[in-house]
Amino acid sequence: MTSLMRRGLLSACSSLGLGAAVAVSLGVSLLVAATGACAADTVTIGISTTLSGSIAELGRSSLQGIQMAIDRLNANGGLLGKKVVLVSADDGAFPANGANNVRHMILVDKAVALLGPATSAVGTAVETVAGQYRRPVFFHMANDIQITTSNLNPYAFELVPNTVMEPRAIAYYFAERVAPKWNGKKIRLATITPNYSYGRDTVDTFIKTLHELKVNFEVVSQQYPQLGATDYTTYISALLASHPDYVFAAIFGGDLITFTKQAQGFNFEKQVRLIGFYGRLAMKTLGTALPDGAIAWNRAPFWVDGNAEFNEFRRAYHEKFNDWPSAWAITGYSAIQIWAYGVKKAGTFDPDKVAQALAGATVPTIRGNITLRACDHQAEVPEYVGVVSNQIDPRYGQPIWAETVAIPASKTMLTCEEARKLQSSHR
Amino acid sequence: MSLNSALIELLSAMTTAGGLFIIAAGLTLVFGAMRIANIAHGSFYMYGAFLVSTLVSTFGSTAFWVSLVAAPLAVAALGFAMEVLVLRRVYDKDHLTQLLATYAMFLIFADLALRFWGAQSRAVAAPAILSGSIQVGGASFPVYNLFVVVVAALVGLGLWALLRFTLLGWRIVAAVEDPEMLAAKGTNVRMLYTVVFTLGAFLAGLGGAVIAPLQSIDTGLDASIIVAAFIVVVIGGLGSVAGAALGALIVGLFEALGILWTPAWAPAFIYLAMIVVLQVRPSGIFGVAETPW
Repeated sequence: MTSLMRRGLLSACSSLGLGAAVAVSLGVSLLVAATGACAADTVTIGISTTLSGSIAELGRSSLQGIQMAIDRLNANGGLLGKKVVLVSADDGAFPANGANNVRHMILVDKAVALLGPATSAVGTAVETVAGQYRRPVFFHMANDIQITTSNLNPYAFELVPNTVMEPRAIAYYFAERVAPKWNGKKIRLATITPNYSYGRDTVDTFIKTLHELKVNFEVVSQQYPQLGATDYTTYISALLASHPDYVFAAIFGGDLITFTKQAQGFNFEKQVRLIGFYGRLAMKTLGTALPDGAIAWNRAPFWVDGNAEFNEFRRAYHEKFNDWPSAWAITGYSAIQIWAYGVKKAGTFDPDKVAQALAGATVPTIRGNITLRACDHQAEVPEYVGVVSNQIDPRYGQPIWAETVAIPASKTMLTCEEARKLQSSHR
Repeated sequence: MSLNSALIELLSAMTTAGGLFIIAAGLTLVFGAMRIANIAHGSFYMYGAFLVSTLVSTFGSTAFWVSLVAAPLAVAALGFAMEVLVLRRVYDKDHLTQLLATYAMFLIFADLALRFWGAQSRAVAAPAILSGSIQVGGASFPVYNLFVVVVAALVGLGLWALLRFTLLGWRIVAAVEDPEMLAAKGTNVRMLYTVVFTLGAFLAGLGGAVIAPLQSIDTGLDASIIVAAFIVVVIGGLGSVAGAALGALIVGLFEALGILWTPAWAPAFIYLAMIVVLQVRPSGIFGVAETPW
């Protein structure tokens, strides 16, 4: 409900536009860029994301990474000589709000490009609006497979593993490193996931891939709490009643913290091994209360040393915010880098030229060189899977993973043919 | 399902019901006695949880017991302020205006919480004596969840005694059942409203404080609880604390049943419960039908 409150600069361009109008009336001529960038020396990029509720921290930390990238871009002369301005708004995870927010940013703030929201439901809505108004949109958080298939338009780019790649990566890790310890004995698996497309797709693909990899297992219980549910007690006892060996939990953000806390009272971790989305936020908040030995997945873990640019960014981010960058801050930073690369390569902000410049391109970013596959605009990036440790790491002052494995995109991506088939089936 | 698992499920349902009851009891008193649907009730709940987290992180985990009392009292003060400064101006307006006023306060409280506590979610650890689990048959059940049930029972007992044996309690019951007669008898209705609203806020704050160690505490708590609380109040009947208790039990049990039988449809079960109850008793189980004059 607080989604109706807007943050960031409102109509920065209209105030500049007013200045331009005054200048023109005084006989001074001004060149205004054709594609709706506002007055001569700035250009706007917009983002609607979740800044309230249980996953507020995800949106908020991504904005920090994005703003840092923009500040650095501007410090180095901006983009095509213009200073980049970020406008942001809260959609509260409601698709209608997301669509309204970005429409406003395009029409009133004159945004020439967009960054994607935190949740997939809003993501498809934003993608549709971006397609209608022809604006490049970069999804660095929402990862629904629809974004690169049935809902795809020429201007959308997916920068993180989608809801096919992510669970496949987890399934690969499970099949190769966890299942063999059972020596062929049948593994009992239960699942709990928020009741919407991201959750259901992730669970369904995980189970399907385990079947494909010939893992000997059975699904003993499946739970679907609402996104943002605060009471998992009855779900937890239902899961435990089915006596699983592993519980696959596609819950994230504040909800994962709630779930873990409530599960601990049931001695959950003594009886089952969790497979969950344990990232920076959960690990920092839960600390030593984390389920030690749980299997986890992440799209950009800060503790994995990267290229020199990444290591420097990580240090600078920590210095500025007194926090290590979340996966969302890292992917958000890389999104700005990718957009800037496309604009520089095309030499213009024109959406068609920028999109053409990026499709099939390989872009150097803090996450390494990222290739944006031409057939579906999906970034060929790895998913990280590993094991949680609840011991405070002295380098970081918070727990990190005991083991981190990068599962490459080549193992998990749909083939171009499979992607094209889904693209032609509009849901 | 084994008897053991069924017992654990039942205890889990009781935990949910216990937490819901504390919150719904406050809401139903305000709704019943003052005829105001206070959406900001969810905000009071959230503030109770946040205040506990702040007190515990500042003074250490030994402060938990003190904060269980201090946080609801602080929230009660907030409720008092809201009643005096905002609600008194809209008593003579129509219901929609009153609803909008409480919704406006909900939004204001939400933004203030965001500014004061930030978007980062917090965790509160239960004191050591309440951590851990007990063995029920062969399975474990969290001690803290039992604590929630005990607190809920004490709250229920306290409210029953209040409504049964005290002058204030009689006046509240009268306000629920026959507000016109109450004013005619010379009761200071304005002061009664202030007291009832403050009590409601206290209960919401207490609900938030008690649940705090079981949750991730963040700015989504206010919206998350308000729908379930309203369903409990509607099922139980406006103004009836016994109704709130029964409603909370029904909601807790229906949710547990839903999870066991059809997990994919579980969240819909509590709405199903509400529909069924309203068909049979349109004013809620213990509700008082509005008598037209």
